Amino acid sequence: MDQPIIRIRDLQKSFGRLTVIDGLDLDIAKGEKLALIGPSGSGKTTILRILMTLEDISGGRIEVCGEPLFHMSRNGTEEPANDAHLHRMRRHIGMVFQHFNLFPHKTVLQNITLAPVLTQGATRADADRRGRDLLDMVGLADKADHMPSQLSGGQKQRVAIARALALQPQIMLFDEVTSALDPELVEEVLEVMHRLARETDMTMLLVTHEMGFAHDFADRVLFFDKGRIVEQGPPDQIFTAPQEDRTKSFLRKIIAAGQRV
Amino acid sequence: MGDWAGYLTLILGGAWVTVKLTILGSALALVVAFVAGLGRLSRRAALRWTATAYIEFFRGTSIFVQLFWIYFVLPLTGVQLSPLQAGVMALGLNVGAYGAEVVRGAILAVPRDQYEACTAVNLTRFQRMRHVILPQALPLMLPTFGNNAIELLKATSVVSLISLADMTFQAQVVRSQTGNTLIPFAMILLIYFALSSIISFAIRRYERRVTRGLDGVR
Repeated sequence: MDQPIIRIRDLQKSFGRLTVIDGLDLDIAKGEKLALIGPSGSGKTTILRILMTLEDISGGRIEVCGEPLFHMSRNGTEEPANDAHLHRMRRHIGMVFQHFNLFPHKTVLQNITLAPVLTQGATRADADRRGRDLLDMVGLADKADHMPSQLSGGQKQRVAIARALALQPQIMLFDEVTSALDPELVEEVLEVMHRLARETDMTMLLVTHEMGFAHDFADRVLFFDKGRIVEQGPPDQIFTAPQEDRTKSFLRKIIAAGQRV
Repeated sequence: MGDWAGYLTLILGGAWVTVKLTILGSALALVVAFVAGLGRLSRRAALRWTATAYIEFFRGTSIFVQLFWIYFVLPLTGVQLSPLQAGVMALGLNVGAYGAEVVRGAILAVPRDQYEACTAVNLTRFQRMRHVILPQALPLMLPTFGNNAIELLKATSVVSLISLADMTFQAQVVRSQTGNTLIPFAMILLIYFALSSIISFAIRRYERRVTRGLDGVR
């Protein structure tokens, strides 16, 4: 493939004595839609958090858009990234959280326009216009002046997606974005994500327990266990003809729990 | 009865001094509380230590002693303050030390989620504090700030010890001139209570304003 947009080499991450990611290698192509599945504690959410620089790394190397994420070269030698470097790198990446993390003291529209105005020098008018377009896209044009506390979970999550999109990142990270939602609200969020996947060439990484959605959404599915990729491939292969025992037993449990894969 | 009008004027003049001390002292306390509260949360160790030393010192010694130092000892180093300036400084620095802990606690009470959201939308540390953390921490600070302001109002009477003619000082004057304790002290009791009621009321109104929209969050 071309130059990968994300390139991970021998990534290590531990919290104290607990190793969460153990020597991960991964290349992600520009525009690729990736679903990360696996039992909880397998390290999949940690990977997203590391890419968003919410966590530091314990070892290894990550490159995003051809530049090291946690390193920077100065006078020919590489040293740990400083705030300015991280700030610059984060412009490539957006993230949507399980619990939405909207700003409760700002209106829906202000949630979306705050960062473009502060970090990209957008004018108030431009940011507002674009914010309303995005709200329209996620089906919430009439909620612009509401406070987040007045919205349902599904609506909050769609606002959170619009907020991340407002910064026009090349890479979007979705961390269990439907796990905190009531079942009847899941569909409206998935629908928005489907449309994003179809209509944009953003690179998207998705951590999910919705196997049916992962199947429809992803170009490639990665099955994680104990901080390593156990198996990966196109969704049809992973979900209908898994090779590894651990993948099989994981999927059996999911199906037993009543999910479509 | 004619004398009492004069005495009342005396006490009201004292009340004005008390009000000035309360307003100026609270203003200083507020500034100091934010500077020291944010200082304690700084990434720079020197700032953290300085803020901690200030807070512990001013919480750990009595305002009475602090006032005497500021008014009688500071002049020995060449800094001569008027009684009002000394009073404002002692009150502001003392109450500010308590306020700093309120600021720190309220900032730490804003959920981690919010910090992470700021990182994800790429705000700088300053933008995060200014636009996301402080606006949410402020409503948490207000009730305690109200208490602190009332404490400060009541502590103003300590300045009568450096012969500043505040309300308590004037009540003493009236008492010694008339031999009547009940009337002057009943008067200042009522005025102190009225002033603290105004503070409570103002803070509650402001609180309602800044928490608008945050219902359902806390």
